[in-house]
Amino acid sequence: MSLQKDPENKESKTLNRFADVANQTILEVGCGEGRLTWKYAKHAKQVFAFDHDHDALRIARADCPIDLHKQIHFANASARYIPFSKEKFDIAILAWSL
Amino acid sequence: MVHALEEIQRVLKPNGVLIDLRPLESNWKVEVVSASGWQTCGSLSDLPQGVADDEAANQATSEVERRGLFIKEKEEMFDYFYYWDTPSEMKEFIESEWEDFEKLEDAVYRKTRSAWVSAGADARVRVRVQMLITKWISGKMNKNTVWMENENQNLT
Repeated sequence: MSLQKDPENKESKTLNRFADVANQTILEVGCGEGRLTWKYAKHAKQVFAFDHDHDALRIARADCPIDLHKQIHFANASARYIPFSKEKFDIAILAWSL
Repeated sequence: MVHALEEIQRVLKPNGVLIDLRPLESNWKVEVVSASGWQTCGSLSDLPQGVADDEAANQATSEVERRGLFIKEKEEMFDYFYYWDTPSEMKEFIESEWEDFEKLEDAVYRKTRSAWVSAGADARVRVRVQMLITKWISGKMNKNTVWMENENQNLT
């Protein structure tokens, strides 16, 4: 299949205008296969990306670029209980997940 | 959804930022695009599930804004495109991936095929999705205050 999503990169350009992720600790809720994660993570200090879908997370872990391995931490979790202590993150991103 | 937003507010630092990025389930246009330009062939039909999901998300954000958990700083809409080489590939994708919330009617598909055939060898098809991005700042109201507010509402 020849599917191509957002070849103009409007999504990540708009995200960058809305939030300066440089050197920030990021929580991504509903990261799926990491499609958006790869686009901003290299500028962040750390990214904690989670999703309730095991299969999507497996793909995200497998596809994670090598240079981002130390920055991105994937977890299987639901947004109903976020497994972190309070006041940990600078930015939270709900990407297609609300 | 409201509980998820409360959880996000809990783990955000004071004045932390929440970015809500999501498609609006309304009027997704089907277009044929080629070197000479693009033309709209119709819109996908919104199915009840997609409309209900949108309404639930809007209600949840309104609720947390009303309670002061988050303060809206700015909001914008932009177009997000899905491209395929052929109308049949688009049809197959919509029927398998978007079956719960969008439908490609036969009339729109036929019009797209016809426009794609006449548009030339480089023609592709695309769906234009309207995206909403909102920047929220974590509010000062904590969970205890919210609990007290709810208790007060129950008393009145």
